[in-house]
Amino acid sequence: MQWSNIRLIFLREFRDQLRDRRTMFTIVVLPLLLYPLLGLTMMQVAQFLGEHRSVILLIAGEPLSELPPLVDQQQFTAELRQAPEGDLLDVVLSEDPPAGAREEALRQLAAQRTQHRKFDAVVVIPAGFGQALSRFQAELSASDGEPGERPAVAAIPPLEVITNKASQQSRIAGARVESVLRLWRQKLVEQSLANSRVPLAATRPFEVTDTDVAPAEVRRAAMWSKILPFVVLIWALTGAFYPAIDLCAGEKERGTLETLLCCPALRSEIVWGKLLTIMLFSAATALLNLVSMGMTGAFVIGRLDAMQMSGAAVEIGPPPLAALAWLLLALPPIAALFSALSLAIAAFARSSKEGQYYLMPLLIINLPLMMLSVLPAAELNLGTSLIPVTGILLLLQALIEGRYLDALPFVLPVVGVTAICCLLAIRWAIHQFQSEAVLFRESERWGLRVWLRHVLRDRGETPSFGEAMLCGVMLLVIGFFASFFAPQSADWRTIAASMLIVQVGLIAAPALLMTIMLTRNPRRTLLLETPRPAAIPAALLLAVTLHPLVGQLGKFVQWLYPLSDEMLQALRPLEASLEQAPLWQLLLVVALVPAVCEELAFRGFVLSGLRHVGHKWTAIVVASLLFGLAHGILQQKLTTCVIGVVIGYLAVQSGSLWPCIVFHATNNALVLLVGRLDAGLLERAPVWQGLFRAGQDDTLEFHWPVVALAALLSLALLFWFRALPYQRYDEERLREALDQRTNEPPALAESTWEEDVAAGPRR
Amino acid sequence: MIHVRQLTKSYPDLGRGQFVALAGICLDALPGQIYGLLGPNGAGKTTALRILSTVLRPTAGSATVNGYDVLTQPAHVRRQIGFVSNNTGIYDRMTAWETVAYFGRLFGLEEDWLRERMERIFDRLQMNEIRDVPGGKMSTGMKQKVSIARALVHDPPVLIFDEATVGLDVLVARALLQTVAELRELGKCIIFSTHIMREAERLCDQIAIMHRGHFLATGSLPELLDRHGERDLEELFFRLITSYDQQDAAGGVLARAGT
Repeated sequence: MQWSNIRLIFLREFRDQLRDRRTMFTIVVLPLLLYPLLGLTMMQVAQFLGEHRSVILLIAGEPLSELPPLVDQQQFTAELRQAPEGDLLDVVLSEDPPAGAREEALRQLAAQRTQHRKFDAVVVIPAGFGQALSRFQAELSASDGEPGERPAVAAIPPLEVITNKASQQSRIAGARVESVLRLWRQKLVEQSLANSRVPLAATRPFEVTDTDVAPAEVRRAAMWSKILPFVVLIWALTGAFYPAIDLCAGEKERGTLETLLCCPALRSEIVWGKLLTIMLFSAATALLNLVSMGMTGAFVIGRLDAMQMSGAAVEIGPPPLAALAWLLLALPPIAALFSALSLAIAAFARSSKEGQYYLMPLLIINLPLMMLSVLPAAELNLGTSLIPVTGILLLLQALIEGRYLDALPFVLPVVGVTAICCLLAIRWAIHQFQSEAVLFRESERWGLRVWLRHVLRDRGETPSFGEAMLCGVMLLVIGFFASFFAPQSADWRTIAASMLIVQVGLIAAPALLMTIMLTRNPRRTLLLETPRPAAIPAALLLAVTLHPLVGQLGKFVQWLYPLSDEMLQALRPLEASLEQAPLWQLLLVVALVPAVCEELAFRGFVLSGLRHVGHKWTAIVVASLLFGLAHGILQQKLTTCVIGVVIGYLAVQSGSLWPCIVFHATNNALVLLVGRLDAGLLERAPVWQGLFRAGQDDTLEFHWPVVALAALLSLALLFWFRALPYQRYDEERLREALDQRTNEPPALAESTWEEDVAAGPRR
Repeated sequence: MIHVRQLTKSYPDLGRGQFVALAGICLDALPGQIYGLLGPNGAGKTTALRILSTVLRPTAGSATVNGYDVLTQPAHVRRQIGFVSNNTGIYDRMTAWETVAYFGRLFGLEEDWLRERMERIFDRLQMNEIRDVPGGKMSTGMKQKVSIARALVHDPPVLIFDEATVGLDVLVARALLQTVAELRELGKCIIFSTHIMREAERLCDQIAIMHRGHFLATGSLPELLDRHGERDLEELFFRLITSYDQQDAAGGVLARAGT
């Protein structure tokens, strides 16, 4: 790659985007206008709500004069107006309700009036309320505290506050009037206590104080730490996507991409040039939004504070400057990640319009990862730091809150995971730019009949990449729905029957059916070739030597993502059932049958199709991801994914499914057998002491030297498999040939033109 | 200069199955010669030219441009060619001068040499009045001029014109054909695809009549007319195409009958 070409492409794309009014509006104008407008609206709403007086219709079923003082000249009494916002209430009295109207009729009338917004809320004082209240107070004063003489509170009919919850004004009026009525009740309680000669302190013998050790600025930082990183990520994603559509789909639409592809610039140089442009606009969008939001936030909160609109405003305060510094530091990797993803996705679109449709899936994938970080239980640890996007957000939260020592150990994992994701996304984008099918995709009228005819008529020897992915995703979806019908019983026979149905009916059968329908060579698709004789014992030996490492991997995964207590409880009956099952049945159902069925599906159909991508490791890793995802819980998914890579490697190198089945069955069998052993074995048969030591919960663990030796032996066996002359697909051969020959010096030209041109103007 | 042997290109197509766009074509084009690809829409002309410009990869066969293999040395091939297509491929938000300069720099030309070269090209193609006009405000004819300037800026020995006169008015098309003829005089090797008979008759030294990915006939115009006993290229073209379609249809019927 030449930096000069990347720079040229970057500068052109940058200038082009600067001249694009739509991009500039989204990136510069929108953030600069959006937040001030939002802030202005917010202030006006706050001002309006703060100054807006509420009108209360007070329907009294009896003369107000019989009640303790409540209303005085169209307002609540001066004493009651001291309740929060009590002075913003105007009262319209209705002491003369319609003739013959009872309480229900009054309620209906009030509800109707409220909906028409003549009143913001209605208070209904039922008939007899004053009398019942007076009687209660009199009885209370007369009683001497004996239980039998206590007055019946339930005899007082309740006051009713009627609001229309669909109206903001009505809700506010309801809250205001309720605060006034609570104060009125409080005054009555005080009066009753005084009449009964009970000190007021009796109702509140002690106070509860709330001491917050966090200084105001830390509280402020904690609040902003939940908002600002989220805003930055969302806008970095949005800011990346629109330029990406214009630079890929837009260029295809305008016909300029083909012109660019005819130039000496490498596809990787084109991708890097475009990527840098998208990164710049992504970062600029996020930054402008951040600055605009920060400035507007500080201004609006300051004004609200000055206007004494809200007590919360004083608590919030403007965002801390340190937060902006950390966000600035995190912006380049965030922008790089989203830019590379957007570029790869946008390259797939044929037109700008089609590109817009792809924004939603990208958001749907990223939003859950962003939301994870704001869950109350989410905290920064090794496990969460390894989750893309979530890790960045949690790390930023910790840094903004000033928890530097908490954040420090996880900087490396977060940066590492983000860098790996960036590199994978860039590779994907470059691959998209090298794919003719992507760059010159033409719109074809899709119809089910045409597609079915195409699928059946144009069957290849092995499945296509798309068919393999379809199979893999289909197996995951079937597995997901089948999990709803998992047996609730802990009976081994039920569990075994269920496992057999899942393995044979829901994993192997779909894969075999797709093989018969979609391929011309089932033998090659399912790798039913006879391997080298030594491959099978080598696979068996590899499963044995890898077993200690698999155990360590499982422990590491559980340490990283510990099983919850609920999950452990849920798994206990299953474990108990497996322990009681006859060994031969256990080995058959849990070791052998899954080995055959899953290998037919994942290393057979799926891997055979995925290899058309032209790179064996890509195919192996994708097949292993699908294999891992098809397993139950997260911890199991991660471990099986890694084991899947090893089995996939055996499949490719040996060209046969048999070593894979042997490895898979042996691995499962060893997990079951070693799991059944307990620490007592070391006393009963001391010979095992050379291999195992007593671990936690009465289990056995391998000695570290045994693990190290097993690792060395495994490496040796993997090297043996590496030396096998594996059968390459056409796409793999083409890729290898291109990789090798493009590095060779150019052939001699046959014309003097080449000399003329080369000797002339070039740098 | 350009040597093509058994060049084949096929790709999966939802409606047509494995569609063969090029079925083993062979050609040799020399410096100072215009090699015309004459064929109806869908004949495979653009596919062949896209392979020569390394934008597409062949399924089988080989092609070299000025000694460089299109499959294994694409970057070298791209330095030898200038590609002009009918959709012009001009950036809407860049001026004519900026567009040509951008491509010149991508070809690694020195700034002084590039400026001098661009001045000459702009004078020769009479483009000075559109020097600062953005692509989005140009007429199709102006855009095609910029496209030619862009293809010529690095002085390539090979020029590829893919139906470059489509959509141009008569005057601009005539000027373009004149430019192509002048480039031949400069010793350029030119591949010129078209479906307009008069252009091929007037311009091409060698003509290949293409249909459905096959070369039905190749040679100079007098050779072709003489060999097939026709006086007119259009008549020859029509006869060859019709004959091929009839044979193809008969072959299809026989295949379906299982004979």
